[in-house]
Amino acid sequence: MSSATTDRQSSGLGFVGQRVKRVEDERFLVGEGKFIADLNHEGMLHAAFARSPFAHAKINSIDVAAASRLPGVVKVFTGAELNAVTNPFIPFFTVGGLYTPLYSCMSDDRVRHIGDPVALVVAESRYIAEDALELIEVDYEDLEAIGSIDAALKPGRTQLWEKADGNVLGEFTDTFGDVDEAFNQADRVITKTFDCPRQSNQPMETRGIAVVVDPTTGHLDIHSTSQAPHFKKWAIAAMLVKDSTAASLAKFARNSERRSAFLAAAKDFVAANKEKMAQQDNSGMVSQLKKDPSTMLHQLRMGAGLLAADDYPTVMAADIGGAFGSKGPVAREDVAVAAAASELGRSVQWIEDRVENLLDGGQAREERFTMSVAVDNDGMLKGLRVDAVLDQGAYTGFPVAPALIALLWKVYFPGPYNLDAFEITSKIVTTNKGRVVPYRGPWANETWARERMLDLVAAELGLTPVEIRSRNVMREGVSMPDAFITGPTIDETMSVAKTFDRALEMIDFDQLKRDKADAEGRGHRLGLGIASYHEAAPGPPNFFSSVQPGTDLFVYEDGRAEIGTDGTIRMFTSQSPHGQSHQTTYKQVAADEFGVKMEDVEIVWGDTDRTQFSFLGTGGSRGGPMGGGVMRMTARELRQQVEKVAADMLEASVDDIDIIDGNIHVAGVPSRGISYADVAGKVAADRNITDEPAFMEAMKYEGVGNGGWSVATHVAWVDIDLETGEVEIPRYLVVEDCGPIINPGVVDGQVRGGVAQGIGAVFYERTHYDDNANLMSTTYMDYLVPTAMEIPNIEIEHMETLTEGENDARGTGEGGMIGAPAALTNAVSDALGVQVTEQYLPPYRLLELAGVIEPEK
Amino acid sequence: MSQPSVSAAPGETIAVNLQVNGTSHSLEVDPRRSLADVIREDVGLTGTHLGCEHGVCGACTVLADGEPSRACLMLAVQADGVEITTIEGLATDAGMHPVQQAMHDAMSFQCAFCSPGFLMSTVALLRDNPEPTEAEIREELSGNLCRCTGYQSIVDGVETAVQLMGGKSS
Amino acid sequence: MKNPPFHYHRPATLDEALALLAEFGDDGKILAGGQSLLPVMALRLGPPAHVIDIGTLEELKSIEVSDTAVTIGAMVRHAEAEHSAEVAEYTPLVAAALPHVGHRAIRNRGTVVGSIAHADSAAEMPAVCLATSATMHLASAEGTRNVAAPDFFQGFFTTAIEPNEILTGVSFPAWGPTTSGTVVEVSRRHGDYAMCGVACALDVADNVINGAALAFFSVASTPVRIAEAENVLLGQAPSEATYQAAADVVTDTLEPEGDIHATAAYRLHLAGVLTRRGLAEAHDRIGVPA
Ligand SMILES: Cc1cc2nc3c(=O)[nH]c(=O)nc-3n(C[C@H](O)[C@H](O)[C@H](O)COP(=O)(O)OP(=O)(O)OC[C@H]3O[C@@H](n4cnc5c(N)ncnc54)[C@H](O)[C@@H]3O)c2cc1C
Ligand code: FES
Ligand code: FES
Repeated sequence: MSSATTDRQSSGLGFVGQRVKRVEDERFLVGEGKFIADLNHEGMLHAAFARSPFAHAKINSIDVAAASRLPGVVKVFTGAELNAVTNPFIPFFTVGGLYTPLYSCMSDDRVRHIGDPVALVVAESRYIAEDALELIEVDYEDLEAIGSIDAALKPGRTQLWEKADGNVLGEFTDTFGDVDEAFNQADRVITKTFDCPRQSNQPMETRGIAVVVDPTTGHLDIHSTSQAPHFKKWAIAAMLVKDSTAASLAKFARNSERRSAFLAAAKDFVAANKEKMAQQDNSGMVSQLKKDPSTMLHQLRMGAGLLAADDYPTVMAADIGGAFGSKGPVAREDVAVAAAASELGRSVQWIEDRVENLLDGGQAREERFTMSVAVDNDGMLKGLRVDAVLDQGAYTGFPVAPALIALLWKVYFPGPYNLDAFEITSKIVTTNKGRVVPYRGPWANETWARERMLDLVAAELGLTPVEIRSRNVMREGVSMPDAFITGPTIDETMSVAKTFDRALEMIDFDQLKRDKADAEGRGHRLGLGIASYHEAAPGPPNFFSSVQPGTDLFVYEDGRAEIGTDGTIRMFTSQSPHGQSHQTTYKQVAADEFGVKMEDVEIVWGDTDRTQFSFLGTGGSRGGPMGGGVMRMTARELRQQVEKVAADMLEASVDDIDIIDGNIHVAGVPSRGISYADVAGKVAADRNITDEPAFMEAMKYEGVGNGGWSVATHVAWVDIDLETGEVEIPRYLVVEDCGPIINPGVVDGQVRGGVAQGIGAVFYERTHYDDNANLMSTTYMDYLVPTAMEIPNIEIEHMETLTEGENDARGTGEGGMIGAPAALTNAVSDALGVQVTEQYLPPYRLLELAGVIEPEK
Repeated sequence: MSQPSVSAAPGETIAVNLQVNGTSHSLEVDPRRSLADVIREDVGLTGTHLGCEHGVCGACTVLADGEPSRACLMLAVQADGVEITTIEGLATDAGMHPVQQAMHDAMSFQCAFCSPGFLMSTVALLRDNPEPTEAEIREELSGNLCRCTGYQSIVDGVETAVQLMGGKSS
Repeated sequence: MKNPPFHYHRPATLDEALALLAEFGDDGKILAGGQSLLPVMALRLGPPAHVIDIGTLEELKSIEVSDTAVTIGAMVRHAEAEHSAEVAEYTPLVAAALPHVGHRAIRNRGTVVGSIAHADSAAEMPAVCLATSATMHLASAEGTRNVAAPDFFQGFFTTAIEPNEILTGVSFPAWGPTTSGTVVEVSRRHGDYAMCGVACALDVADNVINGAALAFFSVASTPVRIAEAENVLLGQAPSEATYQAAADVVTDTLEPEGDIHATAAYRLHLAGVLTRRGLAEAHDRIGVPA
């Protein structure tokens, strides 16, 4: 087999690795992008939600009569009406000991956070829909609200969910190694608690859904700002099932064709995944059913309904204006709007506004960690105990419950440092707040808490942050294990130490001393902070089974390549791009494989009728390694098929075929070449086909070897005006290794964007609930996304380590956000000479920490 | 010269002459509707985006008589007779506007939802100040939020545009 | 976030506008630049029944300069005043304040007078009015009247403007060559409303402070001028020590409240720091052409 690398060289194209300008720009920069709000559907109605102004209240009554009478209003659905025609959300990600309270798309008897939806107006315009909202009368009876982790942990307080134990939904402990032994042996134990307040993803485009109903068939075409359209399709289909289980099963039984197809598919699936299925841990399901047996009835109804359904919705995601995790989940609004459209038999769209987005468009990271580190006086780490609490808000996100974040902590917390033993207990609590969703590196606070703790331990031992890291970091050839103590394997070549060492070379410590003195002379303080981490991007194949046995069932990536009878090359991805430049990078990858120009390749995405199933869609830094990987492998496979036919046509040996700029020829004789269209035409003629592709290859891609780790070290310089608490970041350095880069322009953008969000998290952004769970940051005047004046230039040093894998690119989407809060808060601690234990540091807080002003009581 | 007085009760419309990208549109609009909504829905140009509808994000920025303005914080009736330029009005038959070309060259954007505002702000900036310093660029663009890029690539784009437009020798 | 329905009026003359206000009283609202009114309406926080758009009234669009004052008409946009040579020369404190008001796109639409009428306690222009002893010109169908700045600002978003009145313009006294001033503030992000700020002015001749003004914003329900602190400065030579003495009076006098962006203690501390910084900067600006 001719390797792709040599082909690339002989073709002289080699798009991969180059800073190829984005093809997406052709539409975006001239204003021709098609975002959800831009789709101009004929006869579309507009929806608006009536939302609770109370954090926690009983609904005594709701009166929509006046709103319904308003001219232009088509229908006002109460929460009860929509709940009656939909099924509750599925407690999909069940973990042993976790209880997921069942909830529906709307609230009908009780509201549990500010912004909880209680009624849905469908009207001829959004203006009229909002007018109607003002006419809806709801009689609320105020209940005690749970506004903080402390309140949630306190026994005897008002419960959000009757079947829960207080306001704790789950508690899980995992132990690796002999923790007691490590703690007994170590010279000392240092304990500290770290708090991170709530943040929000805040993409510039809000969420939206447009449900187009076919008036004759009733089929739903759902346009959605979705990172995972396939999952949304099945979830909405399931939640709209109305028939009883018995009726559905009877219908399924009558449909012999469907029945045999399903049984065959199920058999295949079981055969292919026997091992993984056997590993699956069902204790979560058991604990869920113990708490709420009705879960089973709903699951059965949905399952049977899906089996019997004659038609499923099509979900389409066109251009998406950012997401950062917030558009992965299926939201209550999605189900409500789909149900409303389906009930009315008319097309309905809902475009979330910014206030709604701040209320419930996705929030994240309100977490607390009490860390105990067992350490010897020379700084060698022995053991780590973590007591973590995650505030998931009122309703459990779907399908990725925040409990998954706790499972990721379990795997990640020790980071790139050697430890003898580690134990973590995580509690998931519920409070009267908005929905927690994954936010770029959802687990990132383990890096923040760990790297902060390392500095703190160093200070206590009289070491520098550099010394403690140097002594403990896993080093290639010295102290690099084959696998982390928490399970996943690691390839030696992907060591964090490499980035750490390189970062140290790039810091001028003498200059730092001078800069610190200079800052003091100006009444400022300057500090430097370092943070290192690795992330599974996407991780070795055993990464997910370390997170939760059996879940690796869902982490393959499907893809397809086709060559039409006219020679057109089409690549079908199940990714759902929303800023990551997939179209450009996948064209680079495929064009290199096929030996054609980028414009000769078409990338198809976002339409569930055209692409293959994917549970995850775009997320988890998988776009490059997994999505790009399956593009590469399918393209490579098709090229071989093409070469075979071409060899016949050219009467040559396959080994002699070369393809340059789409000219398929015998190596050295380009003048006698043929085109993809010629080859495809031949195949079409031979097989007498017109409306199917001449070549097609579909694949499930599972990733490569022990690779898949992206690693980085961040270094932040922070300058604080001790009089005003204003912050400047004179320098910010990222040394990172995400393997061979497909497109440096794209990677740099991902890294910088992530760091910017980290800067926002530390110095500007807070989803601010008061103790009574009232949301104080409901507009962009109060939720402060940083501007070009607050974000500095960010220096990036790439280390592109190759491994043996055939597709070596590793993910890079999340890392910026993972490293930044740690590096920044470490820098602040260094500047002020105090050990910071909180992540959010507005100017007043910096001055409190510096002892300039009195802290608020 | 004073224009005749105008009045409309709720639900009534007012005749408005909108000049968008050099084309005149005679429209009947409900006075409560924002300029952004009317450009997007009635004129059919959806390149102007709505990110917050309360004046902070800048995605809706258009040029009103040449000056960057929030289309979400203008009623369409306030734009009667005003020359409006949107992102769709930048490119010509000869190709992209130099600012568009520069943002492409610099790989300025990711999701690009914010791009209309940045493009319009930059066009006005470089018209008034053809050789801005980096500090001036950052200050000028601080009325536009971008969540994806960290801004550096956008600042690069403006600097590239300065060169393309002949402002500064490279 | 869409505007509620309202009755829209675009009068052709100021008299017509005043007649409309006389008719609707509390139900009527002036629409000037819309940069504060429109977000409030879109958030549906107390929508007015009648919106009276004064945007096309030519008689309100000028900046007039006399020997004693610069008068800014109600429809003069922030940006126009910001770039006006007359404003910079005769009332430099206004020129110093305007770059702090939001962002360019906001200043291109919003008006100086609208900002004063709106009377956000965190806004710069109301404090500038206090610091300069500006005069507010009010008109109603019944006639006109002038209100001095100290009597004008009465509380959160509350001024001396009666429901039937329009603030047609504001006069800022023209300063001589020995006087200058500046606005210093600290905000969370560039362009945000300040967490604390001060408009300050100094009149210095022969190294003696003959006049001083310190007007703070974002520290109370209205802008606050602190005469006791100003008195500390009078007759003194400009120096860090003098400024610090004034700053001490400021921090003894103010009683700000906290919010999610700034605690009360932080605001108070900033008031002291900004007093020092502002006075030093004001002094530096005397005699320097804008
Ligand atoms: C993102 C953003 C940031 C901002 N940042 C700042 C800032 O940092 N500092 C700051 O000071 N402002 C800021 N503003 C507000 C801006 O300055 C407004 O322009 C100003 O407050 C109001 O002026 P306007 O002409 O737009 O008034 P409008 O919005 O039209 O009116 C505001 C109010 O004043 C009344 N009014 C207006 N003119 C008159 C008149 N002539 N007579 C009687 N009543 C009248 C109106 O009825 C209304 O109640 C910001 C605005 C936005 C959207
Ligand atoms: S949409 Fe107009 S500023 Fe955000
Ligand atoms: S590129 Fe996504 S918001 Fe700017």
